[in-house]
Amino acid sequence: MEILYLLIPLSVVLVLLIVGVFGWAINNGQLDDLEREGGRILEDETAVVDGDQARSPQQP
Amino acid sequence: MSTTAASTACPAPGLDALDDPDLLASYTQWQTPAGGARIAVSQLQLTGMHCAACASIIESTLTAQAGVLSAQVNAAAERLQLRWDPARTRISTLVQAIAGAGYGAAPDAAAPAREQRERERRQALWRLFVAAFLMMQVMMLATPIYVADPGDMSADLHQLLLWGSWVLSLPVMLFSAGPFFSSAWRQLRAGHLGMDVPVSLGLLVTFVASTGATFDPGGLFAHEVYFDSLTMFVSFLLAGRFLELRARHRVAQSLEQAMSRLPDRVERLEPDGSSSQVSPQRLRAGDLVRVFAGQAFPADGRLEQGATEADEALLSGESLPVPKRVGDELVAGSMNLHAPVLLRVLRVGADTRYEGIVQLMRSALTQRPRELRMADRIAGPFLWGVLLLAGLAALAWYFVAPERAIWVAVSVLIVTCPCALSLAGPSAWLAAAGALARRGILLGRLEALETLARVDMVVLDKTGTLTEDRLVLAGSWPARPDATLLAQAAALAHHSRHPMALALAAAHPVDEAAKAQWQQVQELPGRGLQARDAQGRQWRLGSLDWLGADPALLPEAQLAFGSEDAEGGVSLMLAFDEQLRPDAAGAMQALRAQGLQTLLLSGDLPARVERVARQAGVQAARGGVSPEGKLAAVAELQAQGRCVLMVGDGINDAPVLARADASLAMGQGALVAKAQADGIVLSTRLGDVVLARELALRTRRVIRQNLGWAAAYNAACIPLALLGYLPPWAAGIGMAASSLFVILNALRLSQELGKT
Repeated sequence: MEILYLLIPLSVVLVLLIVGVFGWAINNGQLDDLEREGGRILEDETAVVDGDQARSPQQP
Repeated sequence: MSTTAASTACPAPGLDALDDPDLLASYTQWQTPAGGARIAVSQLQLTGMHCAACASIIESTLTAQAGVLSAQVNAAAERLQLRWDPARTRISTLVQAIAGAGYGAAPDAAAPAREQRERERRQALWRLFVAAFLMMQVMMLATPIYVADPGDMSADLHQLLLWGSWVLSLPVMLFSAGPFFSSAWRQLRAGHLGMDVPVSLGLLVTFVASTGATFDPGGLFAHEVYFDSLTMFVSFLLAGRFLELRARHRVAQSLEQAMSRLPDRVERLEPDGSSSQVSPQRLRAGDLVRVFAGQAFPADGRLEQGATEADEALLSGESLPVPKRVGDELVAGSMNLHAPVLLRVLRVGADTRYEGIVQLMRSALTQRPRELRMADRIAGPFLWGVLLLAGLAALAWYFVAPERAIWVAVSVLIVTCPCALSLAGPSAWLAAAGALARRGILLGRLEALETLARVDMVVLDKTGTLTEDRLVLAGSWPARPDATLLAQAAALAHHSRHPMALALAAAHPVDEAAKAQWQQVQELPGRGLQARDAQGRQWRLGSLDWLGADPALLPEAQLAFGSEDAEGGVSLMLAFDEQLRPDAAGAMQALRAQGLQTLLLSGDLPARVERVARQAGVQAARGGVSPEGKLAAVAELQAQGRCVLMVGDGINDAPVLARADASLAMGQGALVAKAQADGIVLSTRLGDVVLARELALRTRRVIRQNLGWAAAYNAACIPLALLGYLPPWAAGIGMAASSLFVILNALRLSQELGKT
């Protein structure tokens, strides 16, 4: 039964960890739109670099 | 979805209007990143989306446009956040692009409020999750302590479990219960004790006592810990608040939906035949407006040209389309479903029924019912009573067994923590008001539910309440009138808005050609209509005196029709009558079955009032009563100890409605906003008055059950705690059960009404 001395603190730490992760997920909007993000992988690759400098937002 | 129709069916009345700076400001925020140009962030409501894949189509369409910095679609909420460069593009161009991809987009002015609500909801949910999840874990650690036989568990292990519980309870106390503590602190500082003070005190004492027991087992607080009860407690309280929050948000949402129904731009037809796009605020009474199918009517008015169907769910709670023909009243905020029509504006702005409804919902949202305030009022005495009791118990035990004195005082404070008590009222009121609102009965004051349960006398108004507010053709002389003559009279009646003319026109619809056969139509107030027919003969439709008709031929006749040139002068006499609401008799019977007395008060002729009362089954009737007389009659009834519910049409009866103990107004009166009633029956079903009263009775019963339960629980537990006999597990189960009982009991009220 000595293992309990390890397992109980471990479970407490684990629970706090889970709560923390879930809190991060809620507050970061990870759970806002569950369907959309899954589909993103199927979309066409968009250009990473914007070659057209005229489209730069810096320019008025 | 109604908005789908709004943006697809209407041929985009002036996309340019979207660029109007005033309108733009309502759904766009301006950002100026360091060293960069101004960026606009617009919130748009999308329509026409079928699945998540549509989101990517819209996003890629927009990002391909010049001047778009980013586009983010939330598929679940059908909303688009668009960041764009105002120097390089215009919002109308972008909306056009979305339309080109096959979707609709409309400004979403309510976005900031919705985001605020979303944040609030997220925060509440997060607190609740922390409390509930940790509660389960604390239970897990607490169970071995409960089930282990003495000697089964080593002292070290026992201690370890307690420490674990303490660590897990800490976030619940510090984070989840935060709102209770901060609110209690505010109430203390304001010198106004609310329920949060005793709740916080109970939580604090429980936690401190349990902490003491955990770290100093032999010390002041003995060895009992209450971490399980504590976390459960917080979870239940938070769950209750979360439900309350959701109910509040739902009302706000329906309010917003109602508000967003008014179109941003309408097409006004000018007298010279041209048309212009104006915002609904610019409309004035008398304007002529074209309303497309799928658009909402921008103001109260009359249908001038065309025929369509309208969705008036806003008013009745039922989304059955209501057919609308020329001359029918149209209500701002209701939807034009079928065909483009011309609307003649009668009322705008604050005078519209729509505005009245919005106002009412707002005030119901911000007002706290008296019973809630009562809970706050008793919180002070309650707190002092509990403190006194705990102090006396500690003093008594000090002489009997000094080492148990503090422990007993603490346990008294714990069992009296007014969890169930503070949930009893709010949960029941909100559930009931929600159920009523879904049925089309809006309560301006939630207190009305309380007085509604006490009434023993119902006073009704006749016109517009017991009867519909329009007349029907009841008889004629000769008894079988000449059909062409009747059609002629009806065609002439179409030129007037007088109630009798309307009734005649409704009984005999005619086409435009028949209407046009009358020339030089003149309406003489107090007399009637005068016009020339195709042959140039002068005809009159109006009062018997004016035409010189003989009342002996048809005693109840009210309208005569005839030509001066024809022989005899009068060729047709007509009588009209009011039409009883279809559910009037049933509703009166149901009210009687509830043990209520019914009385009809009307300014109309006594004989007619008597007849209507007989038809509807109203027990007593008094005719020929002036508005002052009505007021006096109600005051007299109240002096006799009666509790009076007044049901009226809202406007003429305003003083009486205000005087009566409880009052309901039928929602068809035009100026709902000025009604003095506690509630408005938008559905105009008399049966709903019965339902409201039934629900009020049930609400009262539920609140009494809840308070009774909370009192019984306290009455049973306090003596046990005083005597030092209350084991912690019993206290925990009692607390949990009482809270759960109260919430579930209240939720019974939110079941759909009218399923009896």
